[in-house]
Amino acid sequence: MTQPGLKDTLGRLLGPAGAEVGCDTCFEELDRYVELELAGHNADGEIPGLRAHLDGCPACREEHESLRALVGGEQLL
Amino acid sequence: MRTELHHDRTSANVVAWRADQIVEAGSAPTLASLACVEPLTRPPEPARPTYPPALDEDSREWLRALRGQGSLRDDAVARLHALLLRAARFEVARRRPTLPHLRGNELDDIATEAADDALISVLARLDDFRGASRLTTWVYKFALLEAAVKLRKRAWQGREIPLEPETWSLFTSTGFRPDAQLEQSELLEALQRAIADVLTPHQRKVLVALALNGVPIDVLAERLGTTRGALYKALHDARQKLRKHLHESGLSLDSWLEEGT
Repeated sequence: MTQPGLKDTLGRLLGPAGAEVGCDTCFEELDRYVELELAGHNADGEIPGLRAHLDGCPACREEHESLRALVGGEQLL
Repeated sequence: MRTELHHDRTSANVVAWRADQIVEAGSAPTLASLACVEPLTRPPEPARPTYPPALDEDSREWLRALRGQGSLRDDAVARLHALLLRAARFEVARRRPTLPHLRGNELDDIATEAADDALISVLARLDDFRGASRLTTWVYKFALLEAAVKLRKRAWQGREIPLEPETWSLFTSTGFRPDAQLEQSELLEALQRAIADVLTPHQRKVLVALALNGVPIDVLAERLGTTRGALYKALHDARQKLRKHLHESGLSLDSWLEEGT
């Protein structure tokens, strides 16, 4: 079994295996992606390559988590 | 023609420009928070958007007011700023535990500055809003981005950016199992050689800083005088080169990356 630390390091060095969009497309699509997710739709099918980018880009991943938390929290109000 | 966001710190203004004008590192003295070269690899053609089906009434009302005149617009801009400030404060609150050295008033200043900058961005790009989400969701992302970038930079303010593989010891500090050690060592040695031999100096510098030393991409972009998008493209190309090289060397990565931890 791969050690967690090694697996994390390899993941950061080698990135996602699949096709991915870049930071700019990620930003352009992030609002739609989050609303699709929160509505229970197939966000990954609708916007291919964005999930892979979130896996490979910590900054975009953080911004996705924040937007999802903010919008999701509002929907609970 | 695609347009890109360029966050000009000196003028606190946002302008759009052609994607093919901005790629080279060091070509612009300002920070481009997001940039070009899209997509990195060609994903399958996206399905036609099916949600939301049309612009919602609330978003339509926002657009009508923001494109209006006089007090109607002034009031809408003030409400928009309040919305952006709320989002920026949300982001600051989420990150506050990681910034213990910052006082509350400093954090609120950052949130206010982020909301101000986001307002400029949103108003400059209002015609880009396609109605693919509610307008409030669309504007939130600008405030969250501005706040996140400012907080990452503040966290690294005055710190040296490590560009050499000083954390290479990560490989040997993960506690290999004795029976797996040889195989893991072979992989790591091959990876280390590939980083040294296969990558360009720029790709190596970017990979080491972002993937090994954990430098935030916005911080590195500012230090190198380039853009977030251009840096991620360099990182992506470096990763693809490493994967290809390891594959051609007969090393299977799937077993390492997908095994349970």
